[in-house]
Amino acid sequence: MMMTITMIIGCVLGAVIGLLVPAIPYSASKYLAIAIVAALDSVFGGIASNVKKNFDVSVFISGFFVNAILAMLLTYLGQRLNVDIYLAAIIVFIGRMFNNLGIIRRYLLEKAKRANK
Amino acid sequence: MKLKLKNNKNTIAISLIAGILSLLLICSMLIQFKTINKSKEQDIEGLRNDELKRQIASYKSRYEETRTQYEENQNKIREYSETIHDTDASTSLIDKEIEESNATLGLTDVEGEGVIITLKDTNEAIYTAEDLRTLVNELKYAGAEAISINENRIINLTDIVTITDSFIVINANARISSPYIVKAIGDKTYLSSTLNTKNSGFVDLMKINYLDISVEQSNNVQIKKYTKDIETKYMKEAE
Repeated sequence: MMMTITMIIGCVLGAVIGLLVPAIPYSASKYLAIAIVAALDSVFGGIASNVKKNFDVSVFISGFFVNAILAMLLTYLGQRLNVDIYLAAIIVFIGRMFNNLGIIRRYLLEKAKRANK
Repeated sequence: MKLKLKNNKNTIAISLIAGILSLLLICSMLIQFKTINKSKEQDIEGLRNDELKRQIASYKSRYEETRTQYEENQNKIREYSETIHDTDASTSLIDKEIEESNATLGLTDVEGEGVIITLKDTNEAIYTAEDLRTLVNELKYAGAEAISINENRIINLTDIVTITDSFIVINANARISSPYIVKAIGDKTYLSSTLNTKNSGFVDLMKINYLDISVEQSNNVQIKKYTKDIETKYMKEAE
């Protein structure tokens, strides 16, 4: 319950700050985009692991930040090498996101079935 | 969500962490949205390399096109101006020729040095058309460039005929009578000396016949143009 409240507060605050902060330069937006995808992947991963009952806070937080930073570094490296490495990162993250979403979906379906019985 | 929560502190910590993470996530997402939205309106600075390349290429090709067009237009302008120049030159030449022809034909007012001859009938004798024809011929012989009798310009088609004792018709329908004022433009000295030749000159011939004649030299004889249309019915330009 408390967690839901803090999350909502966090979302609202984040929206306010995001609207107030000026836009970043376009060249940097690529890194931010990949970081967002990584973070979203971590969030879905967290939810999925919660569903699977093996959620670990430290794993979740470290995954959230390390994945994002690593993705950014890879993007940077790709830019230096003139290879679009960020595409690979996106494919991995999105793929995992779908996996996790599948797990969450199945859990919710089972829950709904059980509730019906 | 079902979390394995041992105690209250843990719950608070996790809740805080979740809040901060969602803050970060939403914040960065909004910033990203804003940046992307803005970049659509932004110019070159915000564009990616390949986009820039494409744009540069298109600009380059457009530039080349415009350049070729510009050069073509320049060439055309040069041609036109040359043509205009040529046309101007030929036009002015033609104008000059027309003016000269008109002056010779008697279609323009002219002025210059010459003589004014006044002929008056007397009680003893009258001037006939033949006398005037002779005078005109004499003047032409003496180099007169333009002649008029009583302001009727003498052109190459002019006829001078007697119709009655008191009238002479000139230029087909202009009736004139004494006194006749004949104006001629040419070398005034030569004209007057030709007319004044002793005994055989026009003046003496007239005076012998009791006619009144006076020749006056002038530096500014003004002769009006031929006012009627010159019509030709039968003659055509030979090919």
